[in-house]
Amino acid sequence: MIWEALVLLLAVWLLVLIIALWYLPRLGDEDWGRWGRLLGARISADHRARSLMREMLTLAQYQQLTRQGYVEVTSPTIANRVYRIPGAGGLVRVYEQGSAVMDLCVQPVEPLPDGDVVVMHKLMIEGNEQEYLAKANHFAPGLVNLRGGYL
Amino acid sequence: MGMLRVMSRRGDERVAWDVTKAELGDQVAIAAVREAERIFAQQRANGATAFKVETGQAPTRIEQFDGTAEQILLVPRIVGG
Repeated sequence: MIWEALVLLLAVWLLVLIIALWYLPRLGDEDWGRWGRLLGARISADHRARSLMREMLTLAQYQQLTRQGYVEVTSPTIANRVYRIPGAGGLVRVYEQGSAVMDLCVQPVEPLPDGDVVVMHKLMIEGNEQEYLAKANHFAPGLVNLRGGYL
Repeated sequence: MGMLRVMSRRGDERVAWDVTKAELGDQVAIAAVREAERIFAQQRANGATAFKVETGQAPTRIEQFDGTAEQILLVPRIVGG
């Protein structure tokens, strides 16, 4: 039984390999060029976003991001409140007096590279906090996981 | 130098202008300022939020184009997720 399963698996694998070997040489230069351009554009966008993020964060914030994976921004209007912005997307966690009090879900209508999303949160919190809070969906801390589903 | 930066899926797109030259009537600098103003108005009409960013200062939200700003950043409209 096990041998039969292994032989079947090997046969499927060989079939996939043969199809791939038959198909790949038939891809024209245009197809490769298109994939290359898409990849290049993505790399360029990420590079520009990282560059903007490096400019907009303070040195301490940038170090915090590279070491701990998040940036903390102090509320300009609410005493003892800190917003913890994740560097790789996800919910912003709000701390007051050191304790998590809520999670915020805010996103741009146009998809942005991760670096730009960090800058977006920082700018909105520091320069437009009330509207940021008004537009965000508020959750109890830990209620929603990073994949967007309820726990 | 002034700079307008518009966040997009392609990373930020920039338009720069020379404030001094524009004030002195340099046509290229004036054209750059006008282009930045046009993009600013277009993005604001689409719901973008504009921030004036100056070195060493907290960002401030602006409603009107400011040609004297060091940098203006336009953030696309945001929604609750």
